[in-house]
Amino acid sequence: MTKRYDSIVVGGGHNGLVCAAYLARAGRSVLVLERRHVLGGAAVTEELHPGFKYSVCSYVVSLLRPEIIRDLQLPRFGLEILPLECSFTPQLDGPGLVRWPDGDKTRREIAQFSQRDAEIYPEFGREMMKVGRMVKPILEMTPPDPSSLRPGNLLDMLKLGRMFGQLTESERILQAKMFTMSAIDFLDEWFEGDLLKATLGVSGIIGTFQGVRSPGTAYVLLHHYMGEIDGAFRAWGLSKGGTGQISNAIADAARHFGAEIRTEASVDEVMVRGGRVRGVVLEDGTEIQADTVVSGLDPHRTFLKLCNSSDLDAEFLGSIKRFKMRGSSGKVNLALDRFPEFTCRPGDGLHVRGDVAIAPSVDYLERAFDEAKYGDFSQRPFMNVVIPSLVDPSVAPPGKHVMSIFVQYAPYALKEGPENWPQKRQAFGDAVIDTLAEYCPTLKESILHRQVLTPWDLEQKIGLTEGNIFHGELSLEQLFFLRPTPLWSRYKTPIPGLWMCASGTHPGGGIMGAPGANAARRILKTR
Amino acid sequence: MPLPTPFHPRTSKLCESLQFKSWAGYFAVSSYQSHHDPEYFAFRNAAGLLDISPLYKYEVSGVDSAAFLASVATRDVGTLQAGRVTYACFCDSHGKVIDDGTIARIDEQSFRVTTASPTFGWFDRQRRGFDIQLRDVSDTLAALAIQGPNSREALASAADDGIRDLGFFGIMSTRIDGVDVQVSRTGYTGDLGYEVWLRSGDALPVWDALMEAGTPFGLQAAGLDALDVTRIEAGFVLQDVDYFSAPRCLIESRKSSPFEIGLGWTVDLEREPFVGQAALRAEHADGSDWQFVGLEISWEGIEELYAAWGLPPSLPTHACRDAVPLFSGGRQVGQVTSTTWSPILKKYLALATVRTAQSSLGTGLEIEHTVEFERSRVAASVVDRPFFDPDRKRA
Amino acid sequence: MQYDLIIIGGGHNGLTCAALQASRGRKVLVLERRGILGGLAAGEEFHPGYRTVGVLHDTSSVRSSVIDKLGLESHGLKRRSDEAAVFAPQKDGPGLLLFDDPVRACDELAAHSASDADRYVEFRAFLARIGSYLRGILGEIPPPISPRGAGQFLALLRKGWALRSLGRETMYECLRIGPTCVQDWLDEWFETDVLKAALASPALLGTWSGPGSAGTTALALMQICTAGRGIVGGPAALVDALVLACESRGVELRTNAGVVRILTDAGRVQGVELADGSGVEGGLVASSVDPRQTFLDLIRPLDLPGDLGSGIENWRCRGTTAKVNLALDGPLEFSCRPGAVFDTIRVGENLEEIERAFDSVKYRRLPVSPHIDIHMPTVLDPGLAPAGHHVASMLVHFVPHDLEAGWGDTQRADLLEVCLNRLAEVAPECRDRIVGYQVVTPADLERELSLTGGHIHHGEHGLDQLLSFRPQATCARYATPLEGLVLCGSGSHPGGGITCAPGELAASTMS
Repeated sequence: MTKRYDSIVVGGGHNGLVCAAYLARAGRSVLVLERRHVLGGAAVTEELHPGFKYSVCSYVVSLLRPEIIRDLQLPRFGLEILPLECSFTPQLDGPGLVRWPDGDKTRREIAQFSQRDAEIYPEFGREMMKVGRMVKPILEMTPPDPSSLRPGNLLDMLKLGRMFGQLTESERILQAKMFTMSAIDFLDEWFEGDLLKATLGVSGIIGTFQGVRSPGTAYVLLHHYMGEIDGAFRAWGLSKGGTGQISNAIADAARHFGAEIRTEASVDEVMVRGGRVRGVVLEDGTEIQADTVVSGLDPHRTFLKLCNSSDLDAEFLGSIKRFKMRGSSGKVNLALDRFPEFTCRPGDGLHVRGDVAIAPSVDYLERAFDEAKYGDFSQRPFMNVVIPSLVDPSVAPPGKHVMSIFVQYAPYALKEGPENWPQKRQAFGDAVIDTLAEYCPTLKESILHRQVLTPWDLEQKIGLTEGNIFHGELSLEQLFFLRPTPLWSRYKTPIPGLWMCASGTHPGGGIMGAPGANAARRILKTR
Repeated sequence: MPLPTPFHPRTSKLCESLQFKSWAGYFAVSSYQSHHDPEYFAFRNAAGLLDISPLYKYEVSGVDSAAFLASVATRDVGTLQAGRVTYACFCDSHGKVIDDGTIARIDEQSFRVTTASPTFGWFDRQRRGFDIQLRDVSDTLAALAIQGPNSREALASAADDGIRDLGFFGIMSTRIDGVDVQVSRTGYTGDLGYEVWLRSGDALPVWDALMEAGTPFGLQAAGLDALDVTRIEAGFVLQDVDYFSAPRCLIESRKSSPFEIGLGWTVDLEREPFVGQAALRAEHADGSDWQFVGLEISWEGIEELYAAWGLPPSLPTHACRDAVPLFSGGRQVGQVTSTTWSPILKKYLALATVRTAQSSLGTGLEIEHTVEFERSRVAASVVDRPFFDPDRKRA
Repeated sequence: MQYDLIIIGGGHNGLTCAALQASRGRKVLVLERRGILGGLAAGEEFHPGYRTVGVLHDTSSVRSSVIDKLGLESHGLKRRSDEAAVFAPQKDGPGLLLFDDPVRACDELAAHSASDADRYVEFRAFLARIGSYLRGILGEIPPPISPRGAGQFLALLRKGWALRSLGRETMYECLRIGPTCVQDWLDEWFETDVLKAALASPALLGTWSGPGSAGTTALALMQICTAGRGIVGGPAALVDALVLACESRGVELRTNAGVVRILTDAGRVQGVELADGSGVEGGLVASSVDPRQTFLDLIRPLDLPGDLGSGIENWRCRGTTAKVNLALDGPLEFSCRPGAVFDTIRVGENLEEIERAFDSVKYRRLPVSPHIDIHMPTVLDPGLAPAGHHVASMLVHFVPHDLEAGWGDTQRADLLEVCLNRLAEVAPECRDRIVGYQVVTPADLERELSLTGGHIHHGEHGLDQLLSFRPQATCARYATPLEGLVLCGSGSHPGGGITCAPGELAASTMS
């Protein structure tokens, strides 16, 4: 074990793998160390019931940066993204709302509720696309440090200023609004129909511990609007074979470029000698030497678990502790022996071959958040349901289905304490199934197997602190040059040779790959 | 999937070619037979019957309806008499066109507006301070265009009295086969013609009555392909082809003012405020960057191009909506957005947007034309619109 | 009669603007719809023999520069000699008498938490460090969204530099905490619930946000950093002084003169039309009424340039504040401090209680346990009530303007009831002391004081409705795109409350 690596990447999640692939592609010797037996972190596929492949945590893609797909030649390594065409919001006492790929059809759908909304809807889409395009360059940028007077930094700030300067006044106003308003206040400016606002508003809360009426959620709305597949903005897709297939493709690409990947290799500590990183120590005591160590874990794990607190100053540790994680979501995966009919729109047609949102009203969503705010899981939660087997039959036996249910809110910090989650897990699962069964009465009798993941499970199993799927809240004070902490937002850390490359850094969470790629770019530039 | 219009049971049966397109989310016949020529000649020599139900139709009523429409349209609708129809643009506050369409004053306090794209939402946002009712009747009101030199006689023989007295851009109520309808003397073919407005539920008997009464006059069902040729001959702009609705443009340069799409004549500037007035005033004073013009493409030039390859000249069989660049002295000065061969004028015509400097009548330009995969340029000259303007249209 | 400036609305901002402009020799006319001047700052007799000092009662943020420039002290205005201490009563605790001065606050805080007593010193030091920067921002015309010319660019750079010069850490701290919710921010500092509730409370007045809503830290910082010593006699005394200042400068003050229309011609203001049909000509009009009324009610839609109308239609002003005035035959006495009398009291045990009160606004219901901000003006100014008697001026947070059931007599009675229930939990004898009362719902505020949505700040203090966005980017610098129309009310930067700053800043733009 005397081999010495240029870089060790701790954590084989998609960002760690992306970072490793880019480093290897540049000719560095790279080793990826993954604690679990599977790669992918939160982007994994597991067959937990024979014949049924669950995308255990993360379940849809669109944010994955196209340039990463190109640079790493991911299609060659098995990446195939199937588009999700529709979005369906069922109702208990109404027809529900479907947004179709056909604009005229969508207009008629929305017009059932409001003629005005129906006509404004495409305008809204265009406006969001515009803002999305404005924000896109920021995603690929290493955040500048606005307090620094170094020429490089000033240049970056100037670039940022120029970008802002090129916007028209109305675009600037729009951008400022997106960063400060609540999703619903923002949508109120456009629409009057409650169901449409609820449907659109959920994009503002996915993965956050915020309600649709919490200021700042309009930005998250945008974050979800920036997805692009094949150059088309705002398109979501499923990875064929499950989300894990993305991780496998990136891993294969990394190996192709020469990276070495080890699973079931849990890192215990980052070795620091003489004020700089020397490598890592595994749980079994093995030491592996490297010039740089890149952490694909969240900031809490990286600095509070892997690092020795004596290597970091108290101020910095304080700022990491203050970095809000706050997991708020859970996941239920079901194996079904038949298609569960939605009462308000029967059939397994196009309308269910996208995502189905249980978001019948704005108040429903806000009430779900209110319960969580005071430390309970939502009895009537918001859910984002996808039935990948309709689009990708390879994930379930013929005629049978896999249902992936993203559930919010399930606050990590239960008022009884997070350690009580295991006792509440089944009650949480029941609340989810009971709520969904109101919309799909045959659901309960068709369940062959269910997996319930609480934020506690996400922490224990996947290693997401407090079960936060984004490695830290996507709130304004935790974005861009403030992510994860003000003075250390450029992937670098206070320990020379230690880097961050995951969702806890700019531009944040989702299967985007941008933090990994940005970090690799910085690391390569540094030496 | 598009929806059937109220006339679909009839039109679909007649449509032997199975050529439909989606118009505003409805099935609309492109051409009933494999080629649209017979339908075109019905429009120009006899009469054609066209299902225009997919048009967006809104009813505005209430004490402030005239004031409201005057405030959103470029025309001073307040002066429009009951029983009259006018044509106008709707602009945003920057004077850029959102839509164009007709406004009919049914009576003192009720109007019907037709537009090319959904405009209800925009109207709704402008209504503050006006005591009006705004209703979208797109789905409940069916409409037919009966156009062509024989349209008057065909329609008059189907309807109760009064058709023959209806003046150009007039609208009246009458009955066809006992069904209440409104008839306006309007159309999109640039010929003598009428449009019939009726409740969706009455669609089929009215269609049958018109076809029956019209057959002796040569009336036949016509589709959108034939219409497209006639509207280019008439020099009419078409939204999403010749210009784009401002709120749907991602970039400023795609937007147009009424002056830039040849509809400056619909702008009544000096009156009570209306949306876009200040911007339009300024543009009127300073002049516009672009003009909408008619072009006649040199047939000799076309023949020469083909002859150079040893080919006889051949043109697309349909009116063409693919934009092609226009040049003057080697520099691109605009684009052609609609072209068609005019079977009646025997000319190759085009509608184009060009820089103001190149827009005066008689200006010689060059249009791009591709023969054998090779791009060339053909001479074209700016001519007056409409290309085809028979006296019977107004008579 | 020709006026140089016509001011719509005779509230404290309108009066401030009028007096400042008159100081420059302008002929100014103030038009007030009601029979009395002062708006939200006007005192009134709500029960025979008992007077309030205004709908709002906090004068600690009145700009000193206004007092100085107008010489209000020579018109009888007096600053309080002592800082007001806030009393936060508790059901089962000793309560907290909170001073701004950490030395004076020390003992009281130590009774709750020794570490909080220490942290409070640091907390105040941090606030002192950023205070002058924030006061600078709040006391200046907000920067333009699209700076034009070198001067505006430089001004913007200077602002950035001023922030940077607080030090790298402080700068980052400001950027980090600004958008957070006040609960998170205070949780980082303190452990005592009642302390956090008392500190967060004033910033939440009138907002459509709870302590858990993002952006409330910025509001709290602004509020805390501008608070100083109040005015003896409260808002009503301020109005009296402002009226004298106006009169001494020749301002014409007309009451019962409601403006119904701002007259325009070709994009220029020509004057105003009054409710009685008469008109007043004038090329310069300053409006201190809220932005929705100014732009949507007083101006014909098509006289509004550009997209201003649609922007203002999205202006959020959902009122969340009600007022309950109590006439009492003695002071409010709190079970946790028998015998003590306080003039400023905030009833709220902890932030969760306030957050729950806010929840009710979202669902358009009355809060079960409202958060109440009480001022007893009679403690300092016994003349407002018969001898020995008192007035409790209570601002009730989180009472929705658009109550689901609508506002009728039942709802009004319910509102009084929930307030008294909550109050009785800490001051059990309060009910027996009541000799008279007045309930002012947000709907009443809308009707009587002509506040759209019953919003006491003329528009919510949300991050997107402050600074250069208040009330719209195109009119955040007081001048509007409609030539000759200037804004000078709480709907403009730095917003609502009795500060006189919008009136002062607006006046400064009219050279």
